[in-house]
Amino acid sequence: MSTESIEASGVVTSANVTSDVSVVTTTHTDQRTGGPAMGQRILDIRNFSVDYGWGEGAVRAVNNVDLHLNRSTVLGIAGESGSGKSTLVYGFTRLLRAPGVIAGGEALFNLQSEDGTDIIVDLVTASEKELRKVRWSNISVVLQSALSALNPVLRVGTQFEQVLKTHRRDMSKADRRARTVELLALVGLNEDRLRRYPHELSGGQRQRVMIALALALDPQLVIMDEPTTALDVVTQREIISKLFELRSRFGFAMIFITHDLSLLVELADEIVVMYAGEIVERASAQALYDTPRHPYTLGLLNSFPPMHGVRTELTGIPGSPPDLAQLPTGCNFNPRCPYAMERCLKESPSLADLGEDGRSVACWLHSGDAGVVVPVELRRTGKGKREPAPMPVKRDVS
Amino acid sequence: MRLIGRRLALYSVTAWVAISVNFILPHLMPGDPIQTLIGKIQGQVTPQEIEAIRLSFGGGLDKPLLTQYFTYLSQLLHGNLGVSITLSQPVTTILKQSVPWTLGLIGISTILSFIIGTVCGALLGWTRGSRLDSLIPTATFFQAIPYFFLATVMLLVFGSDLHLFPVLGAYSQNLHPGWTWAFAASAVRYAELPVVSIVLSSIAGWMLGMRNMMITVVAEDFVLMAVAMGLPKRKVIMAAARNAVLPSIANLSLAIGLVVSGALLVELVFNYPGVGDLLLNAVQNEDYPLIQGIFLVITLAVLAANLLADLVYLGLDPRTRTETAT
Amino acid sequence: MKKLRIPRSPKVILGLCIVVFFLLLTIFGPLLAPFSPDDTSFAPLLTPSAHHWFGTTSLGQDIFSQTLVGARATIVVALVAGLVATMLSMVVGISAGYLGGYTDDGLSLMSNVFLAIPGLPLLIVIDSYLPVNSRSNSLVIGLIIALTGWAWGARVIRAQTMSLRNRDFVEASRIIGEKRHRVMFFEVAPNLLPILASSLLFTLLYSIGAYVTLAYIGLTSTSVWNWGTMLFWAQNNNAPLSGEWYWFVPPGVCIALVGTGLALLNFGIDEFINPRLRAAGLSSKQRRKLGLPRRQRLGLTPVVRSNVTTPAPIATTKPVTT
Repeated sequence: MSTESIEASGVVTSANVTSDVSVVTTTHTDQRTGGPAMGQRILDIRNFSVDYGWGEGAVRAVNNVDLHLNRSTVLGIAGESGSGKSTLVYGFTRLLRAPGVIAGGEALFNLQSEDGTDIIVDLVTASEKELRKVRWSNISVVLQSALSALNPVLRVGTQFEQVLKTHRRDMSKADRRARTVELLALVGLNEDRLRRYPHELSGGQRQRVMIALALALDPQLVIMDEPTTALDVVTQREIISKLFELRSRFGFAMIFITHDLSLLVELADEIVVMYAGEIVERASAQALYDTPRHPYTLGLLNSFPPMHGVRTELTGIPGSPPDLAQLPTGCNFNPRCPYAMERCLKESPSLADLGEDGRSVACWLHSGDAGVVVPVELRRTGKGKREPAPMPVKRDVS
Repeated sequence: MRLIGRRLALYSVTAWVAISVNFILPHLMPGDPIQTLIGKIQGQVTPQEIEAIRLSFGGGLDKPLLTQYFTYLSQLLHGNLGVSITLSQPVTTILKQSVPWTLGLIGISTILSFIIGTVCGALLGWTRGSRLDSLIPTATFFQAIPYFFLATVMLLVFGSDLHLFPVLGAYSQNLHPGWTWAFAASAVRYAELPVVSIVLSSIAGWMLGMRNMMITVVAEDFVLMAVAMGLPKRKVIMAAARNAVLPSIANLSLAIGLVVSGALLVELVFNYPGVGDLLLNAVQNEDYPLIQGIFLVITLAVLAANLLADLVYLGLDPRTRTETAT
Repeated sequence: MKKLRIPRSPKVILGLCIVVFFLLLTIFGPLLAPFSPDDTSFAPLLTPSAHHWFGTTSLGQDIFSQTLVGARATIVVALVAGLVATMLSMVVGISAGYLGGYTDDGLSLMSNVFLAIPGLPLLIVIDSYLPVNSRSNSLVIGLIIALTGWAWGARVIRAQTMSLRNRDFVEASRIIGEKRHRVMFFEVAPNLLPILASSLLFTLLYSIGAYVTLAYIGLTSTSVWNWGTMLFWAQNNNAPLSGEWYWFVPPGVCIALVGTGLALLNFGIDEFINPRLRAAGLSSKQRRKLGLPRRQRLGLTPVVRSNVTTPAPIATTKPVTT
């Protein structure tokens, strides 16, 4: 068990007590286990699994994932397409389409009320009505292509109007309009865009509209599913810096999904790297960037040019993403891993704490086994990227 | 606006083709049908009427074809569609009496069937996988029944067996046509069964088409976003349906032709005094001027309906309005 | 081409059965008929009995025999019309979509004009000018129906061709210098198979309707037995109002059944072309057993804790922290 899960056990208790009722109220000051105040924690995903299909043909797309997120932090999820990063997010928000099914686990979301009371909802067991209450007021989503995410036959203004009208019953028409104009201004758009239809805006403008829409109800959590992938590099930069600015201003938490690790490094506080539906590495953004521990992370880092700084050679990862229906035995990454050992072909590593400031990795290289030599590039410390790091102390496994 | 311009051009060409087909056909057929026709009615009608028929086909056969064609066109422009040989009346006069009945009957039933079918189709598409899916084979069966056959069965069951509806004709024979309440009520009463049978015949097409579109649209991102936004179910369905209905309207040109063709025969079954009934009589008596006149009127009406559908489409899909703008 | 899996959906199987049944009837129907359809030696207007399954007409003809014999003429004309129309729409559609430019403009205009003109009235006008001996000719009638029924298919095929034109394999055969018509009909056409099949079914449906309608209003020779002429005689003898249902119901139901069969087959093709239409492939019983809701609801991903998967073996030994 990683330390994160232990820290979160305050929530575990409250959830266990009320396994039948998915909404439970505890107080902010309840710190039974000495972990951080539960008010800090906004999302706690445990043992979460998602399958595509059912019965015989089922394929596990997300396998036993543990994930948590504190208030006002940015969590990055990285991985190739098919790694399960989007499936995970659509899964716990219950937005995943058929044939996706949640195969187990829980996703506890803390909707803190204004007086600091924790209200915890397990999204996995929540009813449609409860979900509707959480959606957009607490969790909003920005998709990769704003063109397909915005209703093509409604004016931009109407789409804001719909959201505000649904969730803010007491707002007058004038209030709603004022709020919409304010939101557009936040993302740097003029109010004349209100009368436009989505297809009349440029790609960057549409994504700005989408972001403004996502912030319309001051949500605690905004999920960004590759929001800049469809844009050109210049627009991408503009959007990212706008996001930075908005986040520091409003302090919402963010889950940012992308296959572009170098982008995450700049934006995220913490990063998890996913491969074949499992988390293979978790670390703070800077640590992950400077000193990757999993061979796959290293590969991902080498696939993208850094946004700033020294140009490095792009090497990429040999091989192709795994077929989830036919995963290899042992570590899922072994067919593509240059460091694969005998053990990697037989046993699957689970995510283990490295004892380095809360980072963890699922890789036998870091098991500390006798005779296992961690390659230089996976055991560096500090910031110097190309500096050879001292050999770690070998220990016997009892 | 460019869209409407293009469509107008298409419909003008289509109208011109239809008009030309009317001219060419009699000249193309072996055995000179025009001369046969005139020979057949010689003595039954006045020489002036024979001249009008001759002119409506382009004048004498001794003249060059092109001259005949222009004579035909100018006669058409002056409203001379020839004279019906069975009814001994100008075709335009006859059409003036029957077109309103057809327009009312087919217009109302098409609109009704489109609306009901689209709403049902949207719901079927949204609730896919539910018990409602079992309606599909039934709907398919209804779609495959020829309009006139369904009308015949309806006539037999509800009209002559159960006596629930008046049958045959468009209004009670005891009344005189006019703008009176009694007459209007009777007209409505007599139209009920034909309308129901046209709606039943044509509704499945709209329904199944809309269902397929709805299923396709529900798979789009913006529908998922509507759910993610926590919008009430009603609004989510509306968001999908509003987009799904567009292709239905865009395909109206194909569908209107089929519906009108089918509905014309329903008139026949019910002896409804519209164009369809007229057409059958004309066909059976080889009354060519009347057949051609009816064909022309139907084609023009269908084209007008298409144009109307295009305008509706334009109003519903903002993307067509700014075709050139970016 | 992906492998053409025959869909297991009950709808499609039912459609296939119906269509095969009527195809057999087309071949063997006239042989199976117990009497000659013209034989007027029976008592008029008999209700259905063991001897006359569907009763007799006012002239004392056996309606069952007429229905069996009529199948052939009806379906043969539909097949002629359907095949010719599909060929026509394939040639026009592929040419317009592949060649583009003025050819496309011209051909598209032509098909749009034919789409806008209501088919049946045009058919009636053309047919009414035909000499009587041509009206009894299945081939002539079939060709005329094809002439009014090809445009829809051409439009769909054109759109699909345009999207295929720029695919790699087409590009490749163009670059190695294959002849244009070869690329069009040997590279592009096979990939249009599902659309062509759907277009064929659609025109068959249209052709049956059109032919029966023509016969019903007396525009085909009344001496050729088909389902439309049966309805024509029934209508002319006021069968519907006299309650002689057995006279007009058999041919009508046959027409509707053939149409249903074709439409059901088309469902299968639709699902093949548009995967979004494909059902999840589970019966409601299976779903209930797995604990799945009867239907998937958008924004409410189901939770199936008992889902059986074979996850990768998870090691029991934990790596030791350094």
